[in-house]
Amino acid sequence: MQPFALNYARPAVELAVATPYAYDSGLQLNVLGDGRIAACDHALLREVGTTTSTAGSKTHFDD
Amino acid sequence: MTVLILTSEEDVTADMVVVHLNGSGVPVVRLDPADLTDGVSLSGEYVHGRFRGHLSAGGRLVSIGGLRSVWVRRPGVPAGRAPQPSAWLTEEASQALYGMLRGCDARWMNHPDAARRARHKPWQLRLAQRCGLPVPATLITTFPRAAREFAERFPDLVVKPVSGAHPQDPPRAVPTSRVAPDTDFSAVAFGPTLLQRRIAKRADIRLTVVGDRLLAARKATPADADPREVDVRFATPGPPWEPVEVPARTAEAVRAYLRRAELAYGAFDFAEDGDGTWWFLECNQSGQFGFVEVETGQPIARSIAEWLSRPVPEEPAELDEASSTAC
Repeated sequence: MQPFALNYARPAVELAVATPYAYDSGLQLNVLGDGRIAACDHALLREVGTTTSTAGSKTHFDD
Repeated sequence: MTVLILTSEEDVTADMVVVHLNGSGVPVVRLDPADLTDGVSLSGEYVHGRFRGHLSAGGRLVSIGGLRSVWVRRPGVPAGRAPQPSAWLTEEASQALYGMLRGCDARWMNHPDAARRARHKPWQLRLAQRCGLPVPATLITTFPRAAREFAERFPDLVVKPVSGAHPQDPPRAVPTSRVAPDTDFSAVAFGPTLLQRRIAKRADIRLTVVGDRLLAARKATPADADPREVDVRFATPGPPWEPVEVPARTAEAVRAYLRRAELAYGAFDFAEDGDGTWWFLECNQSGQFGFVEVETGQPIARSIAEWLSRPVPEEPAELDEASSTAC
């Protein structure tokens, strides 16, 4: 009784890398441990993949 | 006047825009509706024919009448993190927040009503056709026989979710997948199924549109790519995204699409075939853009910040009592 499309489902992949930044409500930005703004470090963003289009989001289906 | 950003704290892509807004001195208030009523507060009064409303988050207080724009990025479920969350409280919080915001004069990226409609993929396909974008032959059906007949007409097919959503119990992803010619389609009866003619692509195209500005990126399909991998989100990393010019006819069509969809932002996905034709796959009204910007250097975040920073258009002069009566 499984819908046809689910024959092609696979387990959702969680991000393997913990994000090395945390939200600063004063700045309204995520900052790294050394105080730098995470969004300004494009090499880091590429590495952690948090700006990437993915599938399987729990809350959003617009990728 | 202030830019209001509705998104989650961990949304580092939104940060890319906040940085530009800060750099240009535009006031920003960022909040997640999930934090109503624990961290985010609201109040609005309708007295003597006027409305006065305020939002508060992170020690900031902003007048709803003082908003120049609202960016609906990745907001959580209203009151989702309240001490005692419930479906009823979520509906109450949603009606209060979005109801008040709907009444203000700020510009939206994107308006919730337009966004809700634009998420429907079948509607997207029809609008794309009407705007003159090439759309691969597509069938959405619960009739196994219709699926079998479609597969006879178009033997090289892919299947993808109608909604773009993914099952969460347990968490699974449903990538766009190729369908073998001898597939048993009987399970089509158990849920609407979207089948589409596969485009033999030589590249994926992500076209990000911000207002009138078009920023397209192209990711070439490697010659030795696994033919079973058709969903770029799941494919093994290949060549990087690179900036590409938008064909004039495509530019005209996507502008018409966004105008008719009443969207200020859209991230279009196309498959480029061997002839160079861009086949419309979908338009994500809140699609990710950070991964394109970090690879191509295209100024998408800056474009969004500039759009959000524009002043609110002046209201047309109100009719005086005499002219109102005359009407």
